[in-house]
Amino acid sequence: MSRPRSLQLLKPDARAEAPAAGSPGERSLLVRAAQQGDVRAFAALVDAYYARCLRFALHMLSNRSDAEEAVQDTFVRVYRALPNYEERESFEPWLFRILANRCRSAGARERRRSEIVEFGEVPDRANERRHDEAIAWREEIARALASLPEEQREAFLMRHVEDLSYDDMAIATGAGISALKMRVKRACDALRIRLTEDDGARRD
Amino acid sequence: MHDETDETIARIAAALRPLPDVDRAEKARVLVAVAAERERMRAARVRAARRWRVSGAVGVLAAAGVIAAIWLGGSRADSTGATTSASTSATAAPVATPADARLARDARGLTSVQVVLRAPAAQRVSVVGDFNGWDSRADTMTRDPVTGLWSHTLALRPGRHVYAFVVDDSVWMRDPRGPEAADEDFGRPGSVLLVGQP
Repeated sequence: MSRPRSLQLLKPDARAEAPAAGSPGERSLLVRAAQQGDVRAFAALVDAYYARCLRFALHMLSNRSDAEEAVQDTFVRVYRALPNYEERESFEPWLFRILANRCRSAGARERRRSEIVEFGEVPDRANERRHDEAIAWREEIARALASLPEEQREAFLMRHVEDLSYDDMAIATGAGISALKMRVKRACDALRIRLTEDDGARRD
Repeated sequence: MHDETDETIARIAAALRPLPDVDRAEKARVLVAVAAERERMRAARVRAARRWRVSGAVGVLAAAGVIAAIWLGGSRADSTGATTSASTSATAAPVATPADARLARDARGLTSVQVVLRAPAAQRVSVVGDFNGWDSRADTMTRDPVTGLWSHTLALRPGRHVYAFVVDDSVWMRDPRGPEAADEDFGRPGSVLLVGQP
């Protein structure tokens, strides 16, 4: 009976210190197993990548429920597309391609709704003073990030937060490497200007 | 052009890098959605290949323990006896209602299938499966105060279905006496139900 093994893979304790899909080698084994229809392997991949995908989606969409929906849909699409996945591609950029596409279409929907979305909770005046600097800084970053054009935000996150190489980013976005470098540079410039100014203003 | 990772950018990246808190229910929802997708894919394949033809004129409901009955055109054709030894007097299926009969004659070719679960201590039971997108709010079962059995009538397409019960919105269980789905459902157990072509 294979059930006990599958439960072990999903047990929270088992992944607390050492995720089921820790090393790249293990991950590619899992991907291969999932491709061959092993649902436990797919569950382990979800376990291994969910938090990272959610982080990216949260920074792209600034709204938890939209981000969760995007990530859930991403894994459904990954599952559907697994038979077409070729092992010579790396799994991670392939996953991020699906995720980024999903975030882009969710972002477009969000813009159509013309909703003003604040990142996290906006503090009321009574709480404002108690806000410590770290939180204020994170909120400032979130606002600065949200003000970037979508493709710059995406490129910045992939490069500096997800640590993807430019080759992997090219797979994930479909854009060329020099275009991606340009996007990252522009994003860095804009963030630097905005946040250095804000930082200075706060210290004054 | 080069990667400009100065102090400001490094601080920004560090602030963005912590992973969000994720509760187990979120991942479980993903797996349920993926399970539903897999069933849709399987159903599409099955439809395409017409592999669902189950032998027998009436069809077979292969779900021991889910006391199941098929009504066709108002006349009861209970085929569970053919496939299960678990049907006992204690778990006899209730008589078909006119509503069931109407479902059985549905022009879309749906077949009425009653599922029954013995769970006397439960406050709420629902049946989930590929037929309702694994949505625990879609098919809530009704408790018979006399027998203590929970039952619900589903309108199902012919073919293979995988289902499970959700008890008190917290416990996911496969049918204790139904045939177990061979493929573990992403760590969630399920049972198989075959519905013949009317």
